[in-house]
Amino acid sequence: MPVTRERLHRTLNPQVVAVIGDKKASGYTWLRSLQTFSGKLYSVQVDPNEIPGIEELGVENYASLTDIPERVDFAVCAVPRQVAPFIVQSCVDADVGGVTLFTSGFAETGEDLGVELQDKIYEIAAPSGLALIGPNCMGVHIPRLGVRFNRDQPHDVEGDIGFISQSGTHGMNFSLTGAANGLYCSSLVSFGNGIILEAADYLDYLADDDRSKLIAMYIEGARDGRRLFESLKNAAARKPVIVWKGGQTEGGGRAIRSHTASLASDQSIWEAVIRQAGAVAVHNLDEMVDVVKATLLAKRPSSNRLGLIAMTGGQSVVLTDAFEKAGWKVPTLTDASYAQLGEFFNIIGGSYRNPLDAAGTIGQAPEHLDTIFDILDADENIDAVAMELSATFMARRWQDKPEEFDRLITSIKRFTGKSKKPFLAALHPSHVEPEALQARQRLQAEGIPTFPSFERAANALRKSSTLAAL
Amino acid sequence: MTTAAAAGIVDQARAEGRALLSEVEAKAMLAEHGVAVTDTRLAASVDEAVEIADQLGYPVALKVVADEITHKTDVGGVELGLADAEQLRDAAQRIHAAVTAAAPGVAPAGLSVQPMAAPGTEVILGVTQDRQFGPVLMFGLGGVFVEVLKDVAFRVVPLEPRDASEMIREIQGFAVLEGFRGTEPADLGALETMLLQLSSFAEAHPEVAELDLNPVFARADGAIAVDARILLTPDND
Repeated sequence: MPVTRERLHRTLNPQVVAVIGDKKASGYTWLRSLQTFSGKLYSVQVDPNEIPGIEELGVENYASLTDIPERVDFAVCAVPRQVAPFIVQSCVDADVGGVTLFTSGFAETGEDLGVELQDKIYEIAAPSGLALIGPNCMGVHIPRLGVRFNRDQPHDVEGDIGFISQSGTHGMNFSLTGAANGLYCSSLVSFGNGIILEAADYLDYLADDDRSKLIAMYIEGARDGRRLFESLKNAAARKPVIVWKGGQTEGGGRAIRSHTASLASDQSIWEAVIRQAGAVAVHNLDEMVDVVKATLLAKRPSSNRLGLIAMTGGQSVVLTDAFEKAGWKVPTLTDASYAQLGEFFNIIGGSYRNPLDAAGTIGQAPEHLDTIFDILDADENIDAVAMELSATFMARRWQDKPEEFDRLITSIKRFTGKSKKPFLAALHPSHVEPEALQARQRLQAEGIPTFPSFERAANALRKSSTLAAL
Repeated sequence: MTTAAAAGIVDQARAEGRALLSEVEAKAMLAEHGVAVTDTRLAASVDEAVEIADQLGYPVALKVVADEITHKTDVGGVELGLADAEQLRDAAQRIHAAVTAAAPGVAPAGLSVQPMAAPGTEVILGVTQDRQFGPVLMFGLGGVFVEVLKDVAFRVVPLEPRDASEMIREIQGFAVLEGFRGTEPADLGALETMLLQLSSFAEAHPEVAELDLNPVFARADGAIAVDARILLTPDND
């Protein structure tokens, strides 16, 4: 019996959660991480040495799942592998919605016992319709409901990213690095060996999930490539999908007698599949965070011509280089724009050809930035606007004079609020990194897509520009 | 939708224990599917080759046909631009000598004869079977672009027209097809059509493990495959 959409929905929107087999040796990591859960949390543990510590956390403990007085929507199983099949059976008996098996040591080991136990779990779960996640995975993170598998993960925050990860680490890292960048998940699933539910199932679910405005995925391989392709295509037709493919799988060693077969590397085929499905490929965590950020927070440009605002002449040159290298054009503005800029722009130590070297002009009167934004907004040669915010010169000053930083944010939000053109900010690393970090976080909290380098900003805007608008 | 003739070619190769189809066989299968290939015929003797060339019209290309030989050029098995019967006979002798020296013990099944196609930009189109995604199509510029730079694009079968259009434009060397230093732009529509035909060919022939059309001449007035190689999947019967 396949896992129904309702069953998976219940699992990923739980009101009752149970942790099976948490223990002192692991610092009760599951129960502690789930202290933020907004619903009712239970523990299942039979070892009398472990129970006092669980009760100290204020969690009711039961000897078995079937003893819990409520129906459990989502269970976390952290028992040794030999016990796992029995726990899966009790999940079926207790009509648990879904269970995540953190337990590892199954088919991924290649040992007979691991394969045998995994088969056993499959045989118990498959006919029942139980939403089994894993094994060998970190499970589920839903910030909105405080469902977490790591104590640094965010909670009590609405997220809009559906994240699917074949790896627990990459899923966790995205949830943490994303949160540090103001990006939160609607639901995150790390699915490990994926013996019942695999990437395509989660894609199908998230494609229909209104809370998930965007889907991001880390994947290493697919059991059924055609099905994954179809699910990717379906999801990408409905919302932006960003895929990070990790690892190179071996071709299989058969004799190859054509150019075509010799060139068809695993990576080249995956890149083609991702592109053909209408999704976008990224290649590491930083790029994933960047492209998700640009996709969620910036609009889509109608074409590839950029208006650039920099704080110094040198930066305006390399800012242009970075964007042009990523395929953007930095054209001259219209005569009408130049006529307007000529009226107020400070050309002593500045220039306004495009890029606009504008520190002096804005320093003179902060409302000049609003005027510059209005001119770029109206200029028909410009499709998008990127701005360099000099941490070197400004980050410390913003701390001394927060009203100046507030004024800058007001100007940016005034522009992004009314313009159809995307806007990006870049705040380079500098000698005042703690201050720059604070500034970046504030900009992120204000919903302004901010990147730590020009290159990353340029790449993120390029990759997101091919995706559907939200 | 496998046609009777295509099935016959595959069956015969299977019966003879061959996985690699001859150029003549491969082109016959492709031509049946509407793919533009040069009219290539098998001659069992030099006299027959002359007869065929007289029918097709000179200049012609002459190639050795032998299952054991994967890369005909490498063993001196290809002679191009033969202007008349006399040149053809000389070329047949050179091929015989070269192949005997390079691949002793190989008994060629004959020679293939085809008219010289008007040249164009050389491109490669191909099919292979991916372990996870099934049949995939490849497109790239020929020669050094494919051999050294690996400047190729892939798509999973079946292709939609948009996919064919995008994969041609995706390669780094696309500008070469748009016309370069006075060369005429290639007929991109003809390349797109060929990609879509190959996509449906791959769907119709799951027994095709690998296929190279290399080169295809991309010209201003169309595209034509001048060499074709098909490798069948292992016979499971």
